Amino acid sequence: MQTFIKVIEIWIPNRSRTQLEFGSGLYGAYTEFKTASEQQCFAYDDGLPGKAWAAGHPLVLTQFEQSYFKRTEAARKAGLTCGIALPIFSGDFLLAVVVLLCGDDAEQAGAIEVWCNSDEDASNLQVMDGYYGNLKQFESISRQLSLPKGSGIAGKAWESGTPWLLEDIGKMTGFIRSKDAEQAGITTGLSIPLLNHHTQIYIMTFLSAKATPIAKRIQIWVPDEQGEQLICQQGYSKTSNNLAEMFENTTVRKGEGALGRVWLTGMPVITGGASAVYNPELDNLSSMLAIPVIQQARLSAIVTFLF
Amino acid sequence: MMNLLLVESNRHSDALMLALQQTAIHVHKTAYSLSLPTLIKEAEPDIILFNLGVLNESVLQDLAWLNQHFPLPVIMLIADADQDVIQQLMALEVSLLQVNCLEYAELQSWLQIAVARFKQLQHLKNALEEAKAQLEDRKQIDRAKAILIKTQHYTEHEAYHTLRKLAMDRNSTLSEMAKNVIAMAELLK
Repeated sequence: MQTFIKVIEIWIPNRSRTQLEFGSGLYGAYTEFKTASEQQCFAYDDGLPGKAWAAGHPLVLTQFEQSYFKRTEAARKAGLTCGIALPIFSGDFLLAVVVLLCGDDAEQAGAIEVWCNSDEDASNLQVMDGYYGNLKQFESISRQLSLPKGSGIAGKAWESGTPWLLEDIGKMTGFIRSKDAEQAGITTGLSIPLLNHHTQIYIMTFLSAKATPIAKRIQIWVPDEQGEQLICQQGYSKTSNNLAEMFENTTVRKGEGALGRVWLTGMPVITGGASAVYNPELDNLSSMLAIPVIQQARLSAIVTFLF
Repeated sequence: MMNLLLVESNRHSDALMLALQQTAIHVHKTAYSLSLPTLIKEAEPDIILFNLGVLNESVLQDLAWLNQHFPLPVIMLIADADQDVIQQLMALEVSLLQVNCLEYAELQSWLQIAVARFKQLQHLKNALEEAKAQLEDRKQIDRAKAILIKTQHYTEHEAYHTLRKLAMDRNSTLSEMAKNVIAMAELLK
């Protein structure tokens, strides 16, 4: 199964917390790009991770040539054409930057967007930036939209303050672009809220088609009412995965396992991926990215992307 | 017809050639050189007969390569051999060893014995590999069961049946499913 995201990296502050250094990554077959990345460091406002740190919100970079992107040659060789940087803050302080890299491919259908409100229109969200691959028509429609709180997948995440995962978008009544999404082949949507101060909101949306899903499986884990353990609120993959579902019935305590560590530290993690032995017949899951969603310095959810 | 590769070094015997000619096998003769592995790959013999004056390190290395990549019955005729050399050759799975042999009347029997020993050893090695694989599968299944017992609070019986059901649902083997359970647990570890 081809996934929409080709490369994932986690960049973390160094000991002096003045530069970002390589934390971990999932590169699959992109070994040369991995080699080019592992030795890199990014200062504040430097390169894609550094720019996201300075901006204080997610960035989507759809053109590497003659941009601030620092690994252009290696990315070009690997066929990677778009980068998304997701900074994870606790208040003013950066914990990590997650970078996702995608490649243009005729068979790919999907989009990654950043929605935000503005000083002029604080009560509505608009697309600040986005990567739409070949979905030009869908991009054009999306960029004209204005979503109030509670409306559309981005507005839902804003209203609830937690991530939203929607399956079969084309059939959903609450999704404003459902018909356009259906025409574009988009079936699944995930939105993640990222608050910056009290009034400024950023929502990242991941929209994907069945042929090239964002990940093989996506899960949303949230702390229970007592705040004692994480429970899986939602899990979704193109085909049912009863093994994954079984593990989604378990609960996770703070500090316990990969998800417990995300909760304990507020840091995103990547697990697995070492052997990268993928058996298509079993459609097994061999690696995971877990991203914390932090609201007012507290964990509101953990989104996992399983590959 | 069986193909025999005769490899000679510092030793030649007309009597050996005569004896070989009297068997119903095709003989390809060559002097020992460092390109022996390439020659073996090209000639694809059924059996190799070394007729050597001295056994040097290079021959031992070639035997090790042969044993690993191109296992064949090997007969070793050698001018001299002490206990160490004999042990080394046995460890390299030489099928038949004759030291300072000048008579070749039993050559046909040697060939038959070498082939039979080789086949028997291969059979034992295959059985050992199979047993090792089964043991590894058993370990993986036990580990997966332990994971299910710990994470799902199953009894051992429930863990086994769950594993079996998962495997059946995906039309895969129990050991493959066990590997998947372990991989899933590793992701969340």
